[in-house]
This record gives sequence, C-alpha cells and structure tokens, in this order.
Amino acid sequence: MNGVVAGITYRAVLGRRRILLLILLPLGLVGLAVLLRLVGSADERSAVTLMQSFAIGTMLPLLGLIAGTGVIAPEIDDGTVLHLLSKPISRPVIAQTKFAVAASLLALFAALPTFVAAWLLVGGESGIATGFTVGALCGGIAYAALFLLLGVVTRHAVTIGIIYALVWEGLIGNFVPGARQFSVQQWARSIADQLSSSPFLATDVKLSFAVPALIVVTVGGVLWAGQRLRAYSLTGDE
Amino acid sequence: MSEIYDIGYRHYEGPRLGRAHAVRALITQNLRSIFGLGRRARSKLMPFLLAASMLLLPVVSIAMMAMLGRNDIGYTNYPVIMQAVIAIFLASQSPTITAPDLRFKVLPLYLSRPVSTLDYVAAKVVAMATALFALVALPLTVMYAGELLVDPPGPPHTKEYVAGLVTALLLALLLSTFGLALASFTPRRGLGVASVIAVYLLASAVSTVLFATFESMGRADVAQWAWLVNPFFLVDSVQSWLFGTTPANGYTYPAGVFSALLLAALLGLSLTAFILRYRKAASR
Repeated sequence: MNGVVAGITYRAVLGRRRILLLILLPLGLVGLAVLLRLVGSADERSAVTLMQSFAIGTMLPLLGLIAGTGVIAPEIDDGTVLHLLSKPISRPVIAQTKFAVAASLLALFAALPTFVAAWLLVGGESGIATGFTVGALCGGIAYAALFLLLGVVTRHAVTIGIIYALVWEGLIGNFVPGARQFSVQQWARSIADQLSSSPFLATDVKLSFAVPALIVVTVGGVLWAGQRLRAYSLTGDE
Repeated sequence: MSEIYDIGYRHYEGPRLGRAHAVRALITQNLRSIFGLGRRARSKLMPFLLAASMLLLPVVSIAMMAMLGRNDIGYTNYPVIMQAVIAIFLASQSPTITAPDLRFKVLPLYLSRPVSTLDYVAAKVVAMATALFALVALPLTVMYAGELLVDPPGPPHTKEYVAGLVTALLLALLLSTFGLALASFTPRRGLGVASVIAVYLLASAVSTVLFATFESMGRADVAQWAWLVNPFFLVDSVQSWLFGTTPANGYTYPAGVFSALLLAALLGLSLTAFILRYRKAASR
C-alpha cells in the first residue's frame, strides 16, 4: 500500500463530475426502496427481488466496472501512467493500492446503499439486509480485482467488462445454468443466501464453490495485474 | 500593433466546396470512425461483432421458416428483444465520435472552416443515427428478404416490415441524441462508455422493478406507465400507437399520444444538451 498513490487515485476517480456516475445507481436503488415503502409494498419478497435484480444484478457489476477500471484505465489511456510507473515504487504495490482504492469505493457506493435500501424495506427481517450487504461487499471486492486486471490488460476494458456483465452474467446466465457457476454476482448471491433465512431467495451455486472462487478471482486478479504492470512496456504497444 | 503581412505564399485558387460539402465530409468521417473503418483491426472488432450478433436472430428465424414452415417472425418486437446488444453498441461507439475532439481540444480548428457548431453537432447525430438505423434495419431487411424467398403460407408481412423500419428510425434518433449527449460530457472514452450503459441499465432496472411492484399490487393502470422509463419500450409503445402492432411487452401501454410526446420531449432535451455541450467546448 502506498498512501500517495491511493490519494491520487481517489482524486482521479472522485474528482469533478466523475463522482456523479458512482452516485447515480446507488441513488436509484435507495430511491426505489423509498418508493416501494411509500406505496406500501415493502415486503420480504419485493425486498429480495429488488436486491437480486437491482443491487446485485445491475448496480454491483456496473459500479465494479466503473471503479475497477476507473482507478487505472484512464491513466493508461492518456499516458500519464508513465509518471507513476517511472517512480521507485514496486509495481505490484501500485496494483495492490489501486485495488484497495477500488474495493473501498465499492464498499462505500455499493455495499452501504445495499444495506440502506434493504433496511428501509424490511428492517432486520430474516437477515436480508446483512446477507445482501456482505454479498455485495464480497462480490464488489472480486469485481474490483477482476476489472482492475481487465483495465491493465486491454484498452477496451469497459466494453469487454460490460459484455461480461450484461451478456455472460445476464443473458447467458439466465438460460444456461452452467454459466452461472462462473459469475461473480451468483457467488455474491450464494453468500447472501447463506446469511439470510428468507424463503424467497434461492441460489444455484454452492457456497463451497462460491467462496474459493471469490478468493481465487480476487487474489489472482490483483497478482496478475501486478505482474502485467511489471512487464508494462513504457513505450506502449500502439 | 499587429498587422497581417502578405509574405508571398501562393494563394488557393481551386474550387471552394463550401459548407454542405464540409458537413457531408464530417458525416462520412464520423460514420467511418463509428465502425472503425480506416483504423486498426482492433477498433473494427467491437462494432462488427455486435452487428454480426444482431444478424443471429434473423438467420435462425429464416431457418425455422424454411424447415418447419413456421411464420411468426417478429419484425415489430425485434429491437426490444435485442435491446442489450443495441445498448452496448450505442455505449461502446458513442464515445468514439465524441471523446477525441473534446479531449484534444481541436474544435476551434474545425470551426475555423465554414462549419457552424450546429452543423458539426448535426453531423455527429446523423452519423450515429445512421449507424444505429443500419444496425436494426439490416437484420429486418434480411428477415424480410428471407420471408419473400422462402415464401411460407400466408401473405408476406410487408406492413410489419415497414412498421419495423419506421420504429428503427425513431429508435435510432432517440438513442443517438441521448447517447451522444451523455457521452459528450466526458472527454474520456471509458467513462463515456460507462455513463451511457449506466443510464440505460438504470432505466431498464427501474422500469422492471416499478412494473413488478404495481402489477403485484393489482394497479395495472399505474404499472403500464413504468414501461415508458425504458427507451426501447417507449419507442415500442409509439410504434403500437402508430401502426396498431402488438406491444412487445405482452401487456398494454398508456395512450400513445403521451408516449409520442415523451419521445419528442426526450429528443428535444438531449439534442439541446448536446448542442450546449459543444457550444461550451467551442468557446474555449
């Protein structure tokens, strides 16, 4: 971890109008929760639906993408990463710092609003709020590592990430049960299911697979990103 | 005191092609860069991959028609079915025509020609709308050609095909102004992609959740308004109002006049935002 690098990264991701993008989706989630409460349909089933389809299904991958690629991809894109890489800081440490920043942003902008929205809907009932919060946190950490790696590997990180999140996890995951095994949001759901006793929540991925998979993706992603940065050619590959 | 000296360079005496030519050139240039033509293979990969995946469904439905004799191709609900691909195309390709000129601050160079800001902006909208229209209209045309060739029992669906084309045009106009306006707020490509897709996903998720909630409360009259939050269903509702087609959502929409007004309002709003953004960028 390097404090200066972390500070610069926070400023780069949150500075100016960019923070709006990170606030938009959590605001939508909490707004929907308030609305559901106001119209009087704040029951356990609608809470689980909102959490599954919006919090874990839409918001988490997208915020993961914005935060995960946002901490490194713009710098690589406009070439200022050279100034960072030419400093006597170990490059794996840079990758780890960027990952920590992205993960902390996801805890703040994804996991916290998830908890607030779930609490607004059902309070502490059958552990839905805590379950989905922990699920969103673990999933967010894995997404941060995965998309950080993607941001280091390719210049089209955001588009490829969207295709993974929307087409693989969303479309194909809906029709092909096997695809769900390799989907971060399904792993997050398994964790939520484990901590919550709600009958409306069902998952296909066993926890004994989800937890090791999350750990492998996170650790592997950060280590690989560090390796890629070590071998990063300063002259660029254009 | 400053003065412009004639230091003896040769003057340009060839034909002046004028503003209309410049605008046409800008449209072509934008259209080429949307599809990555004239760039590296890597820039061509994404748009052509997405365009090819749009063709999967027509091919499958023609095959079904030829082998099983089934005649139930959806000309009218095609954009709604393929909305994820269309949205990804819009998100990934809008910043390719808005980000570079804003980032490298080259607008004064363009505007020193006989091109106004409005022309410049219109060229971008026309190019993006053409690209999106082609993305949707080409598969529809393939489907229609397939239907005419296979000639299944019953009359051909010419009316549905025309309705589909008009809808594709409306959808292309709405999405291109909206997507370009959003993408132009940042000079960075990645952020542009992310913000367009974030707004689409937010709209589609909000629409789904609102509909499910009001439907489960038995308030179908309120629930039908929720569809209009999603731009694809908004255009579909205008289509079903104009041509009397079956709604692609399997339910009903509110009265079509409202959808049409909403569509016009959204178009105007995003066009204004887009123009204001480039006015601002041009002034510095």
